[in-house]
Amino acid sequence: MKPRNNNTSEHVRATGSWYRSAIATAVISAVFSVVVCAFILLNHGRSRIVSTDEELELTNLRLEIKSRPDDEQLLSRIRQLDLQIRQQRMNGLDRSRKGSYLLLGGVVVLVISLKYAGTFRKRMPTFSSGTDKSKEQIREARFARWAIAAGAVILGSGTLFLAIRPKIDFLDTSAAGTSWPSIEEINKNWPCFRGPGGLGISAYTNVPDNWDGKTGNGILWKTKLPLPGNNSPVVWEDRIFLSGADPNERQVYCFDAISGKILWKGDVLGAPKSDDEPFEVMEDTGYAAPTVVTDGKRVCAIFATGDVGCFDFNGKKLWEINLGIPDSSYGYASSLAMYRNLILIQFDQGGAEDEKSELIAVDGFSGRIVWKIKRPVGNSWSSPIVVSIENQFQVITSADPWVISYDPAAGAELWRVNCMAGDIAPSPIYANGLIFVIEPYSKLVAIRPDGRGDVTETHIAWKMEEGGPDICSPVSNGEFIFLLATEGLLSCHKVADGKRVWEHDIQEYFQASPCLVGNKLYLLNEKGVMFVIEAGTEYKESAKCELGEDCHASPAFADGRIYVRGIENLYCIGNSD
Amino acid sequence: MAKNNKIINRRNFLRDGLWGGCLAALGVVAGSAARKNKKTDMVWQIDPYKCVACENCATYCVLEDSAVKCVQLYAICGYCDFCPGYFELGANVLETGAENELCPTGAIKRTFVEDPYYEYTVDESLCTGCAKCVKGCAAFGNGSLFLQVRHDRCLNCNECSIAMACPSGAFKRVPADEPYLLKKVNQA
Amino acid sequence: MICLRKILIGLALSLILSGITSGADRFPPPDFVDTEHVIPSPTVPGPRQDIYEYIDAAVLLAALGLSSYLVIRKRSRRALFLLMVFSLLYFGFWRKGCVCSIGAIQNIVLSVFDREYTVPIVVVVFFLLPLIFTLFFGRTFCAAVCPLGAVQDLVLLRPVSLPSWAESGLRLFAYVYLGAAVLLAATGSAFLICRYDPFVSIFRLSGSLNILILGGCLLLIGVFIGRPYCRFICPYGVILRQLSRLSKWRVTITPDECIQCRLCEDSCPFGAIRKPTTNWSPQDFSSGKKRLSFLLVLLPVLALLGGWAGSSLSAVTSRAHETVRLAERIYLEETGKAEETTDASAAFRATGKEITGLYEEASNIRARFWLGGWFFGGFVGLVIGFKLIGLSVRRQRTDYQADRASCIGCGRCFEYCPKEHVRLKNAKEATDKC
Repeated sequence: MKPRNNNTSEHVRATGSWYRSAIATAVISAVFSVVVCAFILLNHGRSRIVSTDEELELTNLRLEIKSRPDDEQLLSRIRQLDLQIRQQRMNGLDRSRKGSYLLLGGVVVLVISLKYAGTFRKRMPTFSSGTDKSKEQIREARFARWAIAAGAVILGSGTLFLAIRPKIDFLDTSAAGTSWPSIEEINKNWPCFRGPGGLGISAYTNVPDNWDGKTGNGILWKTKLPLPGNNSPVVWEDRIFLSGADPNERQVYCFDAISGKILWKGDVLGAPKSDDEPFEVMEDTGYAAPTVVTDGKRVCAIFATGDVGCFDFNGKKLWEINLGIPDSSYGYASSLAMYRNLILIQFDQGGAEDEKSELIAVDGFSGRIVWKIKRPVGNSWSSPIVVSIENQFQVITSADPWVISYDPAAGAELWRVNCMAGDIAPSPIYANGLIFVIEPYSKLVAIRPDGRGDVTETHIAWKMEEGGPDICSPVSNGEFIFLLATEGLLSCHKVADGKRVWEHDIQEYFQASPCLVGNKLYLLNEKGVMFVIEAGTEYKESAKCELGEDCHASPAFADGRIYVRGIENLYCIGNSD
Repeated sequence: MAKNNKIINRRNFLRDGLWGGCLAALGVVAGSAARKNKKTDMVWQIDPYKCVACENCATYCVLEDSAVKCVQLYAICGYCDFCPGYFELGANVLETGAENELCPTGAIKRTFVEDPYYEYTVDESLCTGCAKCVKGCAAFGNGSLFLQVRHDRCLNCNECSIAMACPSGAFKRVPADEPYLLKKVNQA
Repeated sequence: MICLRKILIGLALSLILSGITSGADRFPPPDFVDTEHVIPSPTVPGPRQDIYEYIDAAVLLAALGLSSYLVIRKRSRRALFLLMVFSLLYFGFWRKGCVCSIGAIQNIVLSVFDREYTVPIVVVVFFLLPLIFTLFFGRTFCAAVCPLGAVQDLVLLRPVSLPSWAESGLRLFAYVYLGAAVLLAATGSAFLICRYDPFVSIFRLSGSLNILILGGCLLLIGVFIGRPYCRFICPYGVILRQLSRLSKWRVTITPDECIQCRLCEDSCPFGAIRKPTTNWSPQDFSSGKKRLSFLLVLLPVLALLGGWAGSSLSAVTSRAHETVRLAERIYLEETGKAEETTDASAAFRATGKEITGLYEEASNIRARFWLGGWFFGGFVGLVIGFKLIGLSVRRQRTDYQADRASCIGCGRCFEYCPKEHVRLKNAKEATDKC
């Protein structure tokens, strides 16, 4: 057989130009494809990174314009930026679509030209040298077996690595930790209106009883409040929370307990309202009458507009909902309570026959309404309290005409008593196995909380019908219960049977509810004067401290400190040491 | 030789037997699947009552321009001038402008009908399926704006990437002859 | 008595509550008196009509038939190439690669385990037809019908053959992938094959960046190592391999008889050609027999070990299911280990469902993964055992043959065979005289 090499090389040379042009096409299309690919990736990167920055800027600008609605320059900047972002998005989409088609085309041309070039470079078939086939195959089989064994080892070690990692066992109920604070933690703080359980009792007896607002003696710091409100301060460890609102804005404030600085302000934006009827609330009540509530992880506030906002301790807004503007004649004022992760809202409105009042439980994590239950009551201004009675938690609410207790887990009604009438503002308390509720100007009622259903006939322990305060909630040390009327009449009654032990007319006006610190009562009057009274069998004034500013809100007590909200400032009263 | 033949015959018998077995197994699979099967294809759709307006529909679709778009059910819409699906929370002035609008791409158009009613329409070519308007409308309005998979765009992937990313399990397969899950209109 | 009253109160209250939450409109729809404006209806464009699905099935049938004819009878690489391009264009770019036979495995598996899920008939057809054709003609589906195979085949420009031990080792992954895909489909967790399909995003010209990069890399690898997805990843290929071993007709390199000219040895870019064996020596036989009996004993041990390993991973594998992920997240939040909620946990809390019910559901799913893990692990163990056994069995071969399981019928080896050229009348039969 003649060798065919010469012909082969001639054959190659003759078709060399086709080969070269095929290679050239391949190179061009390869470069083209790489360029288009890079372009697409760049486009993708730009849309991810740059537009995020711009969107962030736009978000910030939009927040800014809420406080400066008439700034024309800001307005046009916002509109321009928004248009820019939108155009970029559409262009980006367009570019990536076109780019992908171009890339496809480039790659197809590349493959075709390379394949065509390959036809010129067909190789002669080769075969391995003639070794002993059986040995070769035995060896190959042995290598293959080891390869599979290696694969098995890899799988095995991967399994081992994954299997020894810690697992979550759902059914293990003994797992430590809960997402809600324990009773001990709640009792160490002042997490809601009138402190732990809404009882108005301070866990700390080392609070000062001597200070002077004018000289600043005994005042650790005072901070100006940006917006007004009648709600009381709420304390959790080294944070103090308040809310404030005016007709346009609603804010939650977080203060640092040591310096008094405002750490953050959270805006509760509120649902867009129709221009037609701007909502107005009674001036004495204000837009931020309800006190906020906290559980150590989040703080939640409600306003007279029915807007509810929840923030985490760093000021990030977790959620915001709107319950509708409550139909409340004096303006909505019921403070919030919390049970585990549920925020409890006593949303009373209208008259009892309107059937609009509800008790609403909102999930603290998500802002979703977990349960709500209709209440056969009219509008009220008292706040619910959450207490543990014989190992069962009860939410006690007081309104006209029913005092109702609910199981906070699912909103089931436990018991109800028909004993109230009129505008109920004092909140209930629990002391020595009894629930105490007040009907303004009328009576104090003691109820045994172990009933079920309508227990009006059976579970009223006693009634004291010689009048009652119209705003301030009572406080009790288990033996005596103290009532403070708005005009200054302080009376002490026996818890056992309601009989009056003594009464004394202080002749000052009080809106803040009294608090019990050890065996002393702390009463804060409208002018900011704190009366410290012995909680004993006779009236004995122990101290009197002036703040120098009007106060409507009840004080909050912490370790060695008292926090008082004045009309304009938040005061921290304590001994510097 | 005879032994080899026997072995080969046995092997062939085994192979034929397995072959027949496989064919039979495939037949069983075919039969059982065909018996249970639906005449029409199944397509993906969003249950608007389960949707939590999480914004995943805009980003997880395999298409860059997501197949999920906002749908306006006019029969439920309140035609409010202060539409909470159109205007942002805390909007100062109820006028059209980028500073007040929720929709980041301006896909919702507001047209005056009669006092005080405005009609809100969704321009699908601009809508990204981000659900900001859905959240506003559901929280403060009637909930007439909600997301739906648009079947002129959807590729009907075997495993829908958005369905896998949906946090509330709102994605489900529905028969192709009833491919939309629109909200019910209250007759009251 | 008290409990009963509580229940009754609870029932009554839940009735009231459901009335509250089903919600009349907050803002009643207006009556347009002045302008008599007509309230429009939203548009509802329909999906692809059913007739097109049946057309797809018919095209599949025709393509399979044509492919089988071209591989077995006509033996034309060029015609096969053209059919492959057509399949890529139709099933790939036109139909966007979905639904495909590979993914159909999951649909079938899901319909077996989930009572509520029914498979559309076209998906069943896509699953069965290639399998039936493979039982008759070998892997002709892979040859020119599967669009994923087509796209890899088209970019194969400079084949490099892998050593056989690498092939065997890598192919193990396909079995594991099949087992995992079946496990996740059976538990209703995910369609793994669809999620990690590297080429479907190329067909759609859009997709997540990661999958696009994966597809691009596989194609780049495929320029040198032929059909990497088909050989080492494709789970459908695993099934096709076993069925192809039993096929009635088979792809042969030579149309006639093999003359052991050895010209086809390096012709297969996929390593599917098996060389003839020389006679084994008696020592080879005896050592082989010893090994074989050892491996036969090892087989059930491997299966049990694998099964136990698979089941012990249930805590990890069950996370593929969204309910288990949700339950774990809620658990972390409830025990205070996680501070914030995710969209999923917030959405769950909003439904008001009992968390203990969620935990129970998640535990049930974990139990299913435990049982499924036994099967999955046992399957992988068996595969490893059988592979080891298969590599110890000595087979006698006199001719160059295409390995029944591995040969995908691409037809590249045809033109290497001199007998083929005789058949095509390109060359004359060689006689003893030169």
